[in-house]
Amino acid sequence: MIEFTADGPFSGSKADPLFPDRVRIIGLGHAGASVCDQLVLHGRPGQDIWVFDTDQQTIEASVVPNRHLLGQNTLHGLGCSGDLDLAREIVRQESGRLAETMRGCDFVILVVALGSSTGMALAEHLTQTGRRSGAKVIAIGVQPFSFEGWARRERSIAAIATLRAECDSVLVLSHDRLEANPSLPRNVRHSFHIMHQLVAQAVQALAQVVCKRGLIQLSFADVRSLYGRYQGTEALENCWVAHVDGDIHDTVEELIEKLFNGPLVADEAVWKLIDHAIVAVSGTRDLGLSDVQEMVSAFQQRLQTDIAIATSASLDDEQHDRVRMTVLLAMTAPIPSSINGKPNVEPAKTQPVPRLIGDTVPLPSLAAKKAKAPVAAKSVTPKAAKAAPQKPAPVKARPAPEIVPTIAIVEETIDEEPVAFPDLGPVADEEPMEDSAPRYIEAKQEEMQFEATRGRFEKTHETIYRGENLDQPTFRRRRLAIQL
Amino acid sequence: MFWGKSRNIIAALEVGSTKVAVAVGEIRPDGTLALLGIGEGPSGQVRKCEIVDFEVAQGCVREALAAAELKTDVVIAEVYLAISGAHLRSSNTRVTTAVQNDGDEITQDDVQEVHDMAAAQPLPVDHAIVHHLLQYYLLDDGSKTDNPIGLASKKLTAHFHQVYGLATRLQTTIRCVKELSIEVKNYALSSYASAQAVLTRHQKQAGAVVINLGGGVSDYIAYQHGAVVHTGVLGVGGDHLTNDIVSGLKIPYAKAELLKKTEGSVILDPNDGDTTITLPGAYNFEERNIYRTSLNTIMQARQAEIFEIILDDLQSAQFWPDFAGTIYLTGGASQVKGLVELGSQVFPCPVELAHQSPFDGDQNYGRRPDLSTLLGLLQYARQAELEVPASRGLARVGQSLKKALASMRVI
Repeated sequence: MIEFTADGPFSGSKADPLFPDRVRIIGLGHAGASVCDQLVLHGRPGQDIWVFDTDQQTIEASVVPNRHLLGQNTLHGLGCSGDLDLAREIVRQESGRLAETMRGCDFVILVVALGSSTGMALAEHLTQTGRRSGAKVIAIGVQPFSFEGWARRERSIAAIATLRAECDSVLVLSHDRLEANPSLPRNVRHSFHIMHQLVAQAVQALAQVVCKRGLIQLSFADVRSLYGRYQGTEALENCWVAHVDGDIHDTVEELIEKLFNGPLVADEAVWKLIDHAIVAVSGTRDLGLSDVQEMVSAFQQRLQTDIAIATSASLDDEQHDRVRMTVLLAMTAPIPSSINGKPNVEPAKTQPVPRLIGDTVPLPSLAAKKAKAPVAAKSVTPKAAKAAPQKPAPVKARPAPEIVPTIAIVEETIDEEPVAFPDLGPVADEEPMEDSAPRYIEAKQEEMQFEATRGRFEKTHETIYRGENLDQPTFRRRRLAIQL
Repeated sequence: MFWGKSRNIIAALEVGSTKVAVAVGEIRPDGTLALLGIGEGPSGQVRKCEIVDFEVAQGCVREALAAAELKTDVVIAEVYLAISGAHLRSSNTRVTTAVQNDGDEITQDDVQEVHDMAAAQPLPVDHAIVHHLLQYYLLDDGSKTDNPIGLASKKLTAHFHQVYGLATRLQTTIRCVKELSIEVKNYALSSYASAQAVLTRHQKQAGAVVINLGGGVSDYIAYQHGAVVHTGVLGVGGDHLTNDIVSGLKIPYAKAELLKKTEGSVILDPNDGDTTITLPGAYNFEERNIYRTSLNTIMQARQAEIFEIILDDLQSAQFWPDFAGTIYLTGGASQVKGLVELGSQVFPCPVELAHQSPFDGDQNYGRRPDLSTLLGLLQYARQAELEVPASRGLARVGQSLKKALASMRVI
């Protein structure tokens, strides 16, 4: 009897593992192990996940099959207790074992708590090893809470500088975002758990993007164009994650509402910092291109600012009637951190950003359709078109947005019925734009962007202090008004 | 013999971001120092005390040496060099050796051994030692001493403050001088040299921090109980104030420098209001009025930042909680108006302008804070010369010949 198995972009993880030796996810230290646990428990099966730590309790408690205790002879499984020099020494001793970690993979995603000892020592080492072996290295790290102390914060800033100097892309999240969200329970353990879940979802989305499999492909270039721009500590936090895991019967509005209520993005100040987004959608075979388009359009309409969006979509048969949408938000404009090292949480003006990211191309048909008729609230599937309460959107829908989701079109042929774009109809509170009417752009006076010039010191070595370039005028960095 | 009557001439050279200066002094037979004169000239292509253009900088050094020789009528064959730059780092270290003499008596050999051990302390890759300055010796019973020879102890511990920097950058400055056939006899950290000029032994004992505000860098040194406990170099100086004025007020660099020196203040006066300063026009510069508040805001922001960073570094040092001394400001950029007032606002201790210790000889330079490093370096050179036993016989002949050849720029 011949057994037929699905292949191509519609294959499930059983027939074709999602990341066959291409994308390796490595959790470093306690936080990295916790994130990887989330990936094993709630992520896609078949992922190549490794965990390293010097603490025996962490390793024993982890559910990741590939877990390794380092420095057992020296530390006896007690960890490095925050001693970075000790951790580096242990890593040096274990370099032989660690060298095996990087073999045979094209992309490495390192998950680490910034400011930790074992995690950072390992990250430094594995980044160099990975680059030597030709792999692209993406690091995703979380800054400690402010209340954890100045020393830890300083170490985390130094860690960001180190990682950005070595890695291809560095995603920095901040624990303080959770603290700023009043709706979250004030439970430290729960807060850490939420953050680990979010980081796991970010890692999942990253893996989906860089592996270039699925319906709508992005690539590593997209990730690097967003998170590989900073070379030092000119800006600290540069990544925010929003995730929604819904039933395919949920309406798009409900999904987007959940997405915007995410713990890291509930603060409105965040949206003023963001200038790019990667939307990663995954679902079962029933997920259609129109569904993806609706979700992205609805997401875009809820935004308060114009940001460039790139979309990736993939199929996962393991998700029974589920649809997942993860949004990786990025800040790419330079925002100097304050002199006292506080996180760059203040809203700041961002520079104009390119509309396209990486190797993505705009989808003209979508753009034309949107210009004609903005998307109304629709369910993910037609059968879910039943009465969904229309919630008032907090932000007024914009008329015919000039930015459309930039979607990379897959080259593979889709063996399904051709996707028809639904007739979405006009939005009630918007007046249709007449083609003949002249379009006026309102002139707007804005503050000139900070010109990063060092004047007389242009040819010298930069003097950097806590992420600030001291060669640049102090009054500019502190935004003092000078009357001419 | 002709070399027996030769004068003991010493020269100190500072290659700064603003100027290159050479001081020439004479050590008299009684050991006192007399300043013969100073040759100086503007420095070119030196930024933050690091040479940007080697040939231009070397030309400036050559001119300054020539000016000093002309003024003092001596031939300079060797110099003591002031070293600075943001690449310099420092740390406190200690070394211990076992005393194995009869009666556990500490001898000169034991002292030499701890000094050799300190010199052999590992440094970061590509770094070279500039100083290892003795803080104190520690004996078995916990007592501290400056001279342990003759005392009894089973082990001898010496605490040092070591200063080191990137070997390549140190070498560039030294090579710049040596290629002019001038021997670099020794070198000293700029802030250490400045401290020799402005601090008395009593002040060092009571506790003092000297902040030398130069053109390209601000270097500082802290003394407690007579020993150096902390040093640092911040790659920001008076040039940054000028650069900020250029950037903020959109005026040429020379005019900004003049404005800073003549009109600028680092203290904001609420009475300034809308008062303006008129910049006279030139053939390629139209007359302009500058708001005094704008000028002072720019300068105050930069200078306060410099002080805040230095304070931050001092507070992170181990000595700071027990520090009860005074902060002394010196260097060319310390001539800015309102500096002491601003320093008093930032630092939680008394702040004063430093005054140079009196010296013999040419008195034209005694009140110039921008020469404190140079004059301090001369003091350092004098001390070093007195500590080294005078060479005799053939060695002395060799030295005289070397000087003679150097005067002809043969070697």
